[in-house]
Amino acid sequence: MKTPIVAFALSIIISLSARAELKWEQTTVELHPTAADKQAVGHFKYQNPGKTPVHFKSVHASCGCTTAQTQKDEVPPGGTGEITATFNIGDRTGTQVKTVTVETDEATNQKTVLTLRTIIPEQLEINPRLVFWKQGDKPDPKAITVKVGKDFTVKHIKVTSSSPDFQTKVEEKGNGEFKIDVQPQETKNVIASTLTIQPEDSQKVFYATARITNSPVVQ
Amino acid sequence: MNQTPNSETIREQGAQRPMLNVEVSAHGTTSNIKHRASNIFWRILGLIIAGIFIYAGAIKALDPVHFASDIDNYKILPWPICVALAFYLPWLEIFCGFALVVRSLYRGALSILTALILVFTLATVAAKVRGLDITCGCFGHASQNWSFPAHLATNLAILAALLALSFQSAARRQIAN
Amino acid sequence: MRSSLVRQVLILLALALAPGVGEAVYFRHRISWQSAVLPSELVTVDQARTWGGNVIWVDARPDEEFASDHVPGALSLNEDRWNELLPQFLAVWSPGTKVVVYCSSLSCNTSREVARRLRREAQLPDVFVLEGGWEAWLKKNR
Repeated sequence: MKTPIVAFALSIIISLSARAELKWEQTTVELHPTAADKQAVGHFKYQNPGKTPVHFKSVHASCGCTTAQTQKDEVPPGGTGEITATFNIGDRTGTQVKTVTVETDEATNQKTVLTLRTIIPEQLEINPRLVFWKQGDKPDPKAITVKVGKDFTVKHIKVTSSSPDFQTKVEEKGNGEFKIDVQPQETKNVIASTLTIQPEDSQKVFYATARITNSPVVQ
Repeated sequence: MNQTPNSETIREQGAQRPMLNVEVSAHGTTSNIKHRASNIFWRILGLIIAGIFIYAGAIKALDPVHFASDIDNYKILPWPICVALAFYLPWLEIFCGFALVVRSLYRGALSILTALILVFTLATVAAKVRGLDITCGCFGHASQNWSFPAHLATNLAILAALLALSFQSAARRQIAN
Repeated sequence: MRSSLVRQVLILLALALAPGVGEAVYFRHRISWQSAVLPSELVTVDQARTWGGNVIWVDARPDEEFASDHVPGALSLNEDRWNELLPQFLAVWSPGTKVVVYCSSLSCNTSREVARRLRREAQLPDVFVLEGGWEAWLKKNR
């Protein structure tokens, strides 16, 4: 029982007595952008409680979708600043975790990993995105399930097919769920169609694909 | 080529052994003809089976990479074993097939081929039961479009033929003894 | 020719070893002994090459990197423009083809994420990630 307390106390003492080391307000930031946001920005504030200046050697992100910059390369003793991490949401969905690795010339802690968690709201979850029939298959209808994200209300969706060879029918299952039945007229010819799915009262459009494919290559 | 068992010898021995192809009859000439006919029958059967295995082995030997995937599809063996078997089994089939043709190492070949077809049939049935959708791979991609019943029937027919040949060979050796 | 059964079997088993080993040597570059492609999603450049024309290459890198250079015939599919690029990819995919997704190198994660989304959203089978990414492909092809 005593050991954790001793360890804890020791770590506090050690960290307090460290000389050139940045103190981070938080190393993990969670962001909740809205559906309209194209970027999510996290601010990682730091300060230099030591007596010597700290220099940033490099700041780089785990992916190309996130850029990070420091306001300055050198932090004087007592100075503060922040590293700004900008995450380009693009068409990403769900919880995205990206990291920014900061390298400094600190004596005891050269590398700090900053974590940016972004919870991206998804207006519609469409599954599957592809329905297909092989040439010669029975032209039975196949279903695409559309689920509305929990932060959204979508009462109706409109589905149009770019090719008249596919018929679509929308069924409202309630509880934020829709079923789209897609059916080809026949499966003789190889054809493709883009299904445009648009929630009522929304500018954003989503897509699914319907196709008649040729039979797999006999290998 | 064939050792024609002497019907007189059999009668002398008074044996009542089950014989597949030797008709114990009182008259030499008739039994000799029937004898030769059934010998020819077994010989041809042996050649057919040999041909099947040589052909199957050759097809697989030409594309062992695909064969390894086919074995892996049964999800019974770990991958490295699938690769090893894919390189080895086709040649085993070819050599055993030739052994049947030249009648050298005949029984050994029959045993190996019987074991192979048995294991293979069981694996096919197991895969079907587990719901795995696999193309047999036994004749490479020539048999790709066969249905499961067709495959099973073919395998069982080959198995039956091998067992028959084995019994016939055993019977002949007993006679010769 | 009175060899015992066991002896005959052993002779045949041994005979088949030589050409079997010979083939294993001959085909050694065309097959990986380590991993079947199925359990893991990773494939090496060599493995992907054995699939010949039956592969669709997917470049998961950002647009600028794709534009500057990519695997010949590869389709661009990244998460920045997923909604726009996915239908283009789905229009080209056909059942039976294998999909190999690559990003820049061994350490990037984007190819895994794109592969995961393809499997989950489009329910595609046979989606693989190129081990070593674009860097590995360059080493083997340029």
